[in-house]
Amino acid sequence: MLILSVESSCDETAVALVEDGRRVLTDQIFSQVALHKIYGGVVPEIAARSHLEVIVQLADRALKEAGVSRRNIDAVACTYAPGLIGAVLVGVNFAKSAALALDVPLIPVHHIRGHIAANYIAYPELEPPFLCLAISGGNTMLVDVQGYTDMRVLGRTRDDAAGECFDKSARVMGLGYPGGKPIDDLSQTGDDHRYDLPRPYVGDNPFDMSFSGLKTSVVNIVHHCEQTGEPLDKPGLAASLCRAVSESLVDRTMEAAKMLGYQHIAVAGGVAANSRIRRDFQTACEEAGKALYTPPMRLCGDNGAMIGAQGYYEYLAGTRAGSDLNAYATMEL
Amino acid sequence: MLILALESSAKAASAAIFEDGGMLGLSVANAGLTHSRTLLPMAEALLKNLDKTLPDLDAVAVAQGPGSFTGLRIGLSEAKGLCWALEIPAIGVSTLEAMAWGGPDREGAMLCCAMDARRSQVYNALFTVENGCPRRLTPDRAIAVEELKNELKAYHKPWILLGDGAALCYNILSGEPDLALHLAPEPLRIQSARGVGLAARDKAPVPPEELLPVYLRLSQAERERQAKMKEPAKE
Repeated sequence: MLILSVESSCDETAVALVEDGRRVLTDQIFSQVALHKIYGGVVPEIAARSHLEVIVQLADRALKEAGVSRRNIDAVACTYAPGLIGAVLVGVNFAKSAALALDVPLIPVHHIRGHIAANYIAYPELEPPFLCLAISGGNTMLVDVQGYTDMRVLGRTRDDAAGECFDKSARVMGLGYPGGKPIDDLSQTGDDHRYDLPRPYVGDNPFDMSFSGLKTSVVNIVHHCEQTGEPLDKPGLAASLCRAVSESLVDRTMEAAKMLGYQHIAVAGGVAANSRIRRDFQTACEEAGKALYTPPMRLCGDNGAMIGAQGYYEYLAGTRAGSDLNAYATMEL
Repeated sequence: MLILALESSAKAASAAIFEDGGMLGLSVANAGLTHSRTLLPMAEALLKNLDKTLPDLDAVAVAQGPGSFTGLRIGLSEAKGLCWALEIPAIGVSTLEAMAWGGPDREGAMLCCAMDARRSQVYNALFTVENGCPRRLTPDRAIAVEELKNELKAYHKPWILLGDGAALCYNILSGEPDLALHLAPEPLRIQSARGVGLAARDKAPVPPEELLPVYLRLSQAERERQAKMKEPAKE
């Protein structure tokens, strides 16, 4: 079964062709990072404009690269939530019109479910149930993946997402946008015990997280150095920040795996590209004797293939939408 | 030649089907629901009721702006999706020109098409009816109502106001000496896919990747950045 999948929830436009949820024929991605860089973050209106300008070219190129024709497409899947509403709307309206015109089923896919499904592409043997930590610029949640379309959120951030914490910290440290990569690079040579940063625990749910206090601590340290003239150890701060974020995430995930008895742990989303987080997960899983799944870098960020992968399992579960499908800025998993 | 026309630049959404230049059917929704939910089902139902199918289409025409940024993108991404899948061309039409085509066609009538662009401006273009068709007098632009007033006066003719900004202009400018203004009758005043289909008749079709919106305005972030760069450096 060949699925054409469309992703446009933030600052990447992507069109992919995926067979049976696991085999990626092509994934055409246009990244808008260069357009948003001068603004220090994603500008929703600029994102929406760009999606509309490139979507047809990506779809054309996908067919060409995969060497298939429109008639080979069995269904169309698209991210319909959550995301920047103006951005998601472009992909949803393109995808549903294409599905209607091709006379094939339309499958709405939750963006975070897509991130989780990126693991199915990277690991052909991986099947639910497993535990998944989904970490990106807009979302941070620990998910009990009981089945391909049957999921339970165990915990989530109460405020900023982990990626947001990296982006905002990078901005105040003068590292530009997006912040994840430069902080990761800087941290390589830094002392991760250089600055004392908080590991907030929030109230009643041990699996809920918070990153706004951590970000504020980084901002305060930078401002303190600016005001007192004390030199700022940027690599040390980057390394301390990566360690704090990683410990917040890894400790909770391992605790949840132990509590629920999971042997398989997957990590998904853009922040899963962080080398400290990957390394800490590796160590923790080796110690606990658990299998770890971390998709390769190209599948961590937003892409079209992951939507095609999840789209396939949504299709098998009977998920369908009509020509009245709308886009949503927020949506429960 | 069968054409689907889409209009989603403002509060009302509409779809129309044209065969060889004549309108076969029109569907309008003005209940304030998002066009993302209503526009495509309207086109789908319209085709069904006219005993036509999507593969029968030869092109899709769409209002490409100016107008609500989000509204325009919904219409344009649907047009792109349909054209891409059906391998047919798209026809982009100025929202304001479509409005003129949908308006009164009395010979010599002066048409002032206006949409509320906020920030005390209107998106506007002026037309006159010649041989039953609107002839353009100005390009599409965003213009202050005050500036528009002086332009309208200079023609020394009565004007018919069209579009969702018609009432706005009428309320500000009526009572102005030496300026006769008339609101177009309600059914002709609001932009609709009928005007898009009529205006599309003499436009060249393009491949869907070349179909682009005409916002007439930068995003707020780009405007603010430009304003900031123009500011003299502070000592």
